[in-house]
Amino acid sequence: MFIKFLFIATQILSASPDKNTAYLDPGSGSFIFQLIIASLVGGAFIVKTYWKRITAYFQKFFSKNPKDGEE
Amino acid sequence: MTLEIRQDSTLPLGASFRDPSGFIFKLENRIYRQINHSYQNDYLHLIESGLYAKLVEEQLLIPHQEVLVKAPRPDLAYKIIEPDLLNFIAYPYEICFSQLKDSALATLKIQKLALDYGMSLKDSSAYNIQFHHGKPLLIDTLSFERYQDGKPWVAYRQFCQHFLAPLSLIAYQDSRLAILQANFIDGIPLDFASRLLPLRTRLTPSLMLHIHLHAASQKKYANTKPASNRSVNQTALRGLIDSLEASTNKLKWSPSGPGWAAYYEEEHSYTIAGLEHKQRLVKEYLSQINPQIVWDLGANTGMFSRIASDSGAFIVAFDFDPAAVELNYLDVRKHQELKILPLIQNLTNPSPAIGWQNQERLSLIERANADAILALALVHHLSISNNVTLDNLANFLQKLSSHLIIEFVPKSDPQVQRLLLVREDIFSDYTQEQFETAFNRNFIIHKSETIQDSQRRIYLMERR
Repeated sequence: MFIKFLFIATQILSASPDKNTAYLDPGSGSFIFQLIIASLVGGAFIVKTYWKRITAYFQKFFSKNPKDGEE
Repeated sequence: MTLEIRQDSTLPLGASFRDPSGFIFKLENRIYRQINHSYQNDYLHLIESGLYAKLVEEQLLIPHQEVLVKAPRPDLAYKIIEPDLLNFIAYPYEICFSQLKDSALATLKIQKLALDYGMSLKDSSAYNIQFHHGKPLLIDTLSFERYQDGKPWVAYRQFCQHFLAPLSLIAYQDSRLAILQANFIDGIPLDFASRLLPLRTRLTPSLMLHIHLHAASQKKYANTKPASNRSVNQTALRGLIDSLEASTNKLKWSPSGPGWAAYYEEEHSYTIAGLEHKQRLVKEYLSQINPQIVWDLGANTGMFSRIASDSGAFIVAFDFDPAAVELNYLDVRKHQELKILPLIQNLTNPSPAIGWQNQERLSLIERANADAILALALVHHLSISNNVTLDNLANFLQKLSSHLIIEFVPKSDPQVQRLLLVREDIFSDYTQEQFETAFNRNFIIHKSETIQDSQRRIYLMERR
């Protein structure tokens, strides 16, 4: 994930020399940016979702105590 | 919603003229929204999918009724709806950090729910979120479009400009930067936010991604057509929303700095019996006006707003200090006080009318809708600290409301003496007699009483 992040940063920051961009539409840049980061944020989301499930499972597993069993 | 528009008009006015899906209009003092044929399918999906009902149930979207009212543009009209009325329309540059943060989180929650129901927000303007019954509420029913698989989130840029940029500037740089929102009506440009944020935010992955790299990408790819074979699948889109939510949640701001300890200064200006007497007087005067809406000017952290709110009125609690407003809002949220809306407002430079033809966002005076004004421990701050003459002050206050409960703080008061410590006393007219003469020109003074153990005096006045 970190390598992906660095790759994206390098790709974007290696911009062509600064031009006068005052009249340019920033909308398309935001659109393309989402295409670039899609796999990063999507991947992080999948990892996070599964991680939550795993920790929730173990929390449930370890939180079982004799009292729970009696109920 | 009433306050978006100055007068009866069947033309799209206020801030809604840009949206081809429909517009707001006012007729016989009621607010309606025309939905155009071009939005018909999206509107039907919003209602029939159950998303509308879900959002209303969650108190995230303004409820509305479909009504039979003559359409201002019958050639375009599909339906007319009448949304619930709001007590006050506030703008992003008038809300405190936590209000803006809660608005951002509400927007993302709405977007997640919209995706569950096959829709997506097509804009994420901070102006579309208003505080109603103490909670952030989306007031633009036409903000949804049917979700198209693979399409990036069209409102991503707007979310970053309207929410993430100002929130991170307040959290990492200075709370006063929030006022930039009044200059940049479509949110703070990301390249500008990127330059203003301290270097260390480049080491914060969420801000590096959504502000700094996003801004660099806007520059690099401006006017570049996105490749047609690339898409953002729904998992990636949900990942984006999740990432924005985590980024927003991480941003924190706590009021600090000089003046912080002085919040209860005004309380210390009275004895316990004196403060109780002042509270009793305010209650008594309010009960005689029986207002629906009260503006508390110089509300501080809201002690008297709460007294006024107990009388059943809706209170807009203005203060110039973002820290006081933040504290007031945190109290409102904690105790679920539904009838108090804390807002930032500098009375010596009130919110101007901004936007296209100066009509998109109204000035403070244009939004005046209070039945009564509370101006307690305020006069000396305006007259002594800001050289506002008493005549001028009376003239300003009579523009805001028909009734006024105002406290005069004489020159002999320790607080006024404190203000005069570092400046020459050029205020020979600042006396109780001159105060009454000045206000008599604009108001009838019905009642007045000196606060116990104090030289301060409270007045109940009515506009002439």
